[in-house]
This record gives sequence, C-alpha cells and structure tokens, in this order.
Amino acid sequence: MSREPILSVEDLHVWFDLSGGSELHAVQGVSFDLRPGERMGLVGESGCGKTTTILAMMGLLPSSASVAGSVSLDGENIMARGEDTVSPHRWKDIAMVFQGAMNAFNPVKTIGSQIVEPMELHGTATGKAARGQTRELLELVGISGDRVNNYPHEFSGGMRQRAAIALALACEPRVLLADEPTTALDVMVQAQILELLVRLTRDLGLSMILVTHDLPVVAQVCDRAAVMYAGEIVEMGAMSSIYHDPRHPYTRMLFGATPDLLGDADVISIPGAPPRLDREIVGCPFAPRCDSAFAPCATVAPRRLETSPGHEAVCHLNDHVVAKEPA
Amino acid sequence: MEGRADYVVKRTLFALLTVFVAVTINFLLFRALPGDAVSGLRCQHCTIQFKAALRHDLGLDKSKWEQYKIYLKQLAHGNLGLSDVSHEPVRGLLWDPLKNTLLMLTLGTVFSIIFGLLTGVVAAWRRGTWVDKGSLWTSLAFYSMPTQWLGLMIVYFVADRIGLPHGGIQSPDLGILGNPSTYDYWKDRLEHMILPALTLGLVLYGEYTLIVRSAMLETLGEDYVLTARAKGLSNFAIVRKHGLRNAMLPIVTLIALSLGFIVGGAITVEYVFDYPGIGLAIVDAIDKRDYTFLQGAFLLLTISVILFNFLADLLYFKLDPRVTT
Amino acid sequence: MTIDHPLPAAPEQLEELSAEGLGERRTPGFIRSAILTQPAALVGLAVLFFFVFIAIFGSYLEPYSIHDKTGPVYAPPSSAHWLGTDDGGVDMLSLLIAGTRVSMEVGFAAALVAMLIGGAVGVISGFVGGIIDVVLMRITDIFLVIPDIPLMIVMAAIFGRSLKNIIIIIGIIYWTSTARLIRAQVKSVRERVYVKRARSLGATNNRLVFKHVLPQVAPLLIANTVLMVALAVFAETYITFLGLGDPSAISWGRLIENAFLGNAVLNNAWWAIVPPGVCVTIVILACTMVGQSMEDALNPRLKVGHLSVRRFRLRPLGGKLDSE
Repeated sequence: MSREPILSVEDLHVWFDLSGGSELHAVQGVSFDLRPGERMGLVGESGCGKTTTILAMMGLLPSSASVAGSVSLDGENIMARGEDTVSPHRWKDIAMVFQGAMNAFNPVKTIGSQIVEPMELHGTATGKAARGQTRELLELVGISGDRVNNYPHEFSGGMRQRAAIALALACEPRVLLADEPTTALDVMVQAQILELLVRLTRDLGLSMILVTHDLPVVAQVCDRAAVMYAGEIVEMGAMSSIYHDPRHPYTRMLFGATPDLLGDADVISIPGAPPRLDREIVGCPFAPRCDSAFAPCATVAPRRLETSPGHEAVCHLNDHVVAKEPA
Repeated sequence: MEGRADYVVKRTLFALLTVFVAVTINFLLFRALPGDAVSGLRCQHCTIQFKAALRHDLGLDKSKWEQYKIYLKQLAHGNLGLSDVSHEPVRGLLWDPLKNTLLMLTLGTVFSIIFGLLTGVVAAWRRGTWVDKGSLWTSLAFYSMPTQWLGLMIVYFVADRIGLPHGGIQSPDLGILGNPSTYDYWKDRLEHMILPALTLGLVLYGEYTLIVRSAMLETLGEDYVLTARAKGLSNFAIVRKHGLRNAMLPIVTLIALSLGFIVGGAITVEYVFDYPGIGLAIVDAIDKRDYTFLQGAFLLLTISVILFNFLADLLYFKLDPRVTT
Repeated sequence: MTIDHPLPAAPEQLEELSAEGLGERRTPGFIRSAILTQPAALVGLAVLFFFVFIAIFGSYLEPYSIHDKTGPVYAPPSSAHWLGTDDGGVDMLSLLIAGTRVSMEVGFAAALVAMLIGGAVGVISGFVGGIIDVVLMRITDIFLVIPDIPLMIVMAAIFGRSLKNIIIIIGIIYWTSTARLIRAQVKSVRERVYVKRARSLGATNNRLVFKHVLPQVAPLLIANTVLMVALAVFAETYITFLGLGDPSAISWGRLIENAFLGNAVLNNAWWAIVPPGVCVTIVILACTMVGQSMEDALNPRLKVGHLSVRRFRLRPLGGKLDSE
C-alpha cells in the first residue's frame, strides 16, 4: 500500500441548484485515495451522495450542479477546468458500470455496436479489430461471442450486467467505477457478478470503486471501505479493520442491517431518515438516529480522527479513545 | 424470429379490418340520408315508372343487406358510383383533384417535418434556454391556430408582400402567348402551391415541433444517454446516434396519427386558396349536395390515411427491434 | 406543462420524488395544488374563466344588437365600434361576444359528450378486462385511425346543420384518445394494493368502481376533458367554415367564415379577420396549458436531462463553505 495513488480525490464538494434559489449540498468535502489494483467500497444509504461523488469524478453531473475540489489522476487534476479536462479521460482511463444496467444500453442498437462505439471514438481499435476485441470482451465476462449482434432486450438481466462490464472494459481503463452493479439482480446472479468483478480487477490490474448500499457485499469484495453519510465520509479504512473494529455507530448499524430480501430496494433497516442536505446541519448529522448519541452530539460537529493507522472516523465516541488527527 | 413476423401479419389484418369498418360506416352514413340516389333526380323523362326501373337497376328496391352486398361488390371493382350532379363516374372526378392535393400536401408536410424535427431537436437539446422557450411558444401558437384563419391571415398580410399568388392553381395569363414551356408550367404550378402548403406546413410545424421536443426530452433523460456521455461522445454525436434514433419511435407514431388532421386541414386550406384539390371538390360537393361524390371522396381520404398508418407501422417495425406483437 | 419543468436535478433525490407519486392514493387536494404551483396553468385557467364569464354574461356586454346594421359596411375600428363593423355593418365586438357564447357552449358540451363516452369505454375496458377489453380497444384503435375531420364533415353534411348535431358529432368522434388514456389508468389503479384489499373484503364491482377507481381517474379525466374543449372549439370552426354550421348561430368559426365569404381581404378589413382567430387561438392555448399542466402533474415524467449545452460549474473553495 505504499505505492502512489492512481486516483486521488481531495475535498470534493457538489451542490445542486433547487427551484426557488436554494441549494442542496450533496457532497460535503469528500477526500480519499485509490491505489493501483485496489478495490474500494463506497457505502451508504440512498441519497447519501455516493453516486453523486463518482458522477462528479467523471464530470457527468447535470448543469444544475456546481463542483469544487480536485480529482487527480496520476497527479494531474482532471477537475481543473471542468468538462474540458475531464472528458479526455472518460472511458479511456476511468470507465463506469452503471446502476441499473438494464437501461444503460440503447434498446435499438446491438450490444456489439455499443461496445465498439467507444473503441472507435478513442481510437483504441477500429473496424474488424474492434469487433474482434468486442467478442473477446464478451467471452471474458462469460457471454458467448456469437451474441455480439443481439439487442439488449434479448439478454437476461445478469447478462446485460455482464455486457455492461464488458462495455466498461472496452478501452482498457485503469479505474473502474461500479455503481450498484448488482442492484435488481437475484442473489445467485449477484454473487456471480461480484466474483467476475473481483477476478477482472485482479487479472487486469484494475483499480475499482464499488458503490453500494450493502456493506456486507463490500466486506466480501473490497480491500478498503469508505462509509458515507449525509454527503460526508464518516468512516474509512482497511476492510478488515472496519469489519472487526467499526469506529462509527452508523457503520456498525450498517453491518447489522439486513438489506431487502429481493435485493432491489435501496432500503436499510436503520430507523429514521437521513437529514435534509438543503439546510445547515448542527452537530453530528447522524445524532438523531444514533443509538449511542450523548451530550455533545446534538450541538458540536465531531472531528475526523485517526483511530488506528489508515483508519479514520468522524464520531464523538472516538474523542476520548484517541486524539490524533489524520495526517 | 416468429414474433416479429407475427407483427406484420397482425398490422396488415388490422389495416384491412379498419378499411372494412370505414367502408361500412360509409355505407351506413349515406343510407341515413332522406331519399335515395334516384328520388333527387329532376329531368323531363324522369317519370315515376322510370325512377322505379332505375331503382330496380341500381338495386335500391332490395333490402339494406342486399344493397350492402351490392355496394361492396361495386367497390371491389373500383366503382364509386355516379356523381349526383354531373352524372359522371366519381372515380374519374376524384383523380385530378387528388393529384393536386397530393403535391401540395407533400410540399407542406415535408416542410413541416424537416423544420419540426430541426426545431424540436434543438429545443430539447437547449432545454430551458431562450431558444427552447421561443420555439416552444411559437409552435404552441401555430398549433393553436385554426388552419383556415391562418390561411386568411397569410392571404391578407403576406401574399401580396412577397408577390405570390393566393388563388387557383394556374395564372390566367399562362399560355396566352402560345404553349408554356415545361419549366414555366411547373414554376407557375409551384408558385400557386407555396402559400397553401405553407399554411398547412406552419400549423403542422407547430404540432411536430412539440412532438419532437417532448420525444427528445424523454429520450435524453434515458440512462443510455448518460452512458454515451460517459463513453466520451460529443453532444452532437449523442443527439445524432442515440437521441434522434430513439426519439423517432414516438415521432413516427404521432405523425401517423396526425394524418387525419392533415387531411382535414387540407380541405379548409384548399377552400381558402381556391386550390382545386380534393378539399375544394368536397366543399363544392357539400354545396351542391352531391352525396355520391362526397361518399367517394371520404372513402378515398380514409383509405389513404389507413394506408399511411399501415406504412408507419411497418416503419416502426423496422426502427424498433423490440417489437414483437 | 410540457413547456418546462425546471428540475432540481440531483439524481438520487429525484428517484425518491417520483417514487412517491406512484402507486399511492391521491388526495383530493392534489389537483388543486398541481395547478396552483404552475404559473402556466394559472394563466391558462384565468384566461378560460375570462371567456366563460364573457360567454355567460355576454348578452349584457354586447354594445350593439348583432342582428341590425349599426354602422357603415366594413367601418374600421373607431370609438363607436371598437372592432369596426362587418360586411353587413354589424358591430364586430358584439359579434365576437356572441360568438364566444356559442363557441364555448360547443366546446364544453362536445368535450362533455366525449368525456362520458370515452370515460365509460375506458373504465369498462380497464376494469372488466378480458374479451370485452380486447373488443373495445380494437374498436377504439379503428376509430383512432379513421380521419376525424373528414368524418365530421360527412356527418355534418348528412345530419343537418344544427348546434346540437355539431356537439354530438364532435363528441362521438373525439372519445377515442380519452378511452385509451382512462383504460390505462384504470388498469393500474385496479392493481393497486388498496383496491385489491377492498376486493378481497368483498366489495362489489359497482362499489369498487365508484368508490375507488373513479375518484382516482377523475383528475386525469378532467385534464383530458380540458384538452378536449380545445379540440372541440377547433373542430367547430372547421365544420362551420365549410358551410355546415348552424345557420342561426354566431360562433367564432362563423365569423371567420363571414370574413372569408364577405371578402374582408379585398376590403382591407383586417378587423373582421383577426379577432375571431385570435380568440380561438387564445382559448386553445389556454386549454392546452391547463390540461397539459394537470396531466404532467398526474403523470410525472421527472427525468433528468442527461444532455445540455450548459455544463456543471466549478466553484472555488474557501471561506464561503460554512454559509452554504
């Protein structure tokens, strides 16, 4: 873990304009590093800003958004001039597997032509070579190469998700952002897809950020995890450390929470709802739902503290345990 | 793929069924008229005996059911009956106006589809900007105008200013100095066609812009557009390769459904511009109570619309690989 | 309305928003709040109320008799005749007010007929389902394809020129789209949890339809009827323009016909041409605005546009954060 990070996000903020002139502060100063070959999980409930974070990293936010902070790829800030500096890296360096891959493919074009499209666009392969590579990619994710000319509706949900992964690999990116890649799939297929992602990142040396609401899944797949709540990373560290010694009550409750049986609803059975992000939050944003809240939580915002090397959390419970701010 | 072939068969059967229903409605409606084709005849030798004989010849003394069968049989031979006024075969009388109408309608429709597509796509693309708002209100306004009134407005405010004819189909002085050349003939024809086509085109333009804009907006909100953007495609490429291609599906359907409206608009536009097409012929027939002609013209218009709807179904079939039933 | 939904486009928030409206029972106040929050709908509603007011109290507002010559032929607008006179020297403003009454009457009455037929077909088809549904929808599809305006013209030519006939003709031709829309809505309401629960508790079909289904589809039906008013006003001008209108009734369509037949163009009498068409255009615009806003509120297609010319903005960090 001593290698230089391939991707480094620093103090990332995202605001959305709301009708009526107010703003929603969806991402509130997120920072993390991703090292080569590392698999990191970004976990949290619906609306916590995890999807917004990775959309921001790819410059895919709508025009109602404003962004601050930096996203560095190999030390170069690709956020420096917004769209202009991000777009050359899209798909070539950073590719994405979208949430609900059901609709990630254009229904009136063949799967093959949609995988060829970014290859030809970025010039990584053209014509016959591109079609050959597409077949190989499909085989790689476990789909017969003969199905390149099928349309999306001819694929099952699991196959479409596999094809979406093949699509993400089209230009041999170095970073893969996977946004809820197993939502809406049945449990068996979910496990297969996760296994596929692990195998691919290992074999191809890819770094991956796995965005999900399912912390147990992250525990199976990832080396490191970052837990987001109300637009902030509230706990981050090596998976084993977080698993054995969660330092934030939210993380602990996430482990205990059972996701919806069907696996499709972004529902976590923690009582209460996250705070609204269009107004200022006083104290700890999790305090109203926390089972261990005490005196300072309602009024004083907790600091980010390193509880053990590489493991940090934002919770007053840690104030007395350690008193060292992360470097 | 069997399901795909089924679709074509089903649509064909549906089109045929619709034609059959239209024919039946046509028969029933005109049977609701007081009197029949013979009772209105006025001539010297039209004695009661003669009329009775004629009724017998035309099968009008038979039961409605027999008459219906005769009517279907005649139609199958392409016989639409004789005009109540000129006593010539209606089929022949329909031919020339039909050609004129088709030319004018094509001009107007092509104009509106091209410009409607352009503005609709740009408006959706630039959603929320003044370009969008401007084109939206313009098209809503055109869409809300009665066609005949827009025609009158164009005759009053536009025609003379840009020096285009606004009545008839041919200049009275054309050919006075000998036979006009083919070029002069068609130039004159075209000039007479422009204003009626423009009137119809503007109303349709409004409708099509609205249709295209909302179909495009819907499409641009789809997940695969976000995928395309993530892949690095330029905005233009996304609109062209993913947006337009998918938005074409609802557009084809809705344009097909607007055909009835186009035909209706053509009738009043031809009346306003005194353009000798089917519409003017219909107005004339209403005026002279030439019901047999009216019946034939209605059938012709209805079957054309059904035909074009059927073609639109086939086009949809070609555009959307998902269609199975 | 389709005109614009300025969206607060935070993807995750939107999902929650749209999930709320679906499958849930609508409260009675829903439609009111849907209209009141949309400026386009409010403007449209105000315009419609204005014209309905004119239609009801018009006879007290007409400055002159519409049957007598009260000025010179085609007199231009003046202080005596605000909108000038027509080819018979009759005051245009009075004619326009009288026309409002007839046009609005035809519009609303025909829309009502279409609503009753289309609503009934839609509810029966969607609620009963099975073979009845198939047959009714086939019929609807067939009538959707048969061109409506020519059919109206033919019917008007055959059945004679009275206002009542025109209303019925327009009504029985324009029910098809209503039927389709309502059927889809009824089908989805029927599948909702509370309807199923009521059914399992032994509610009769009548009770289900009137107590549960109708209240749920009513807002959509009303929205559709408002759009239908526009179509009916439009259709009336067509029928009348072709000489098939009620000879004794002055409608906007009739005024356009008069301007045409009375050679208003040759007489340079723009005041005889412009006003009736403007009235029709405004009423149709207003109906479209109201109806569309209501439909949009009822069937929210809240979607983020993934493509726009404007890009997301960059914001420098520092100082300002705490106040955000």
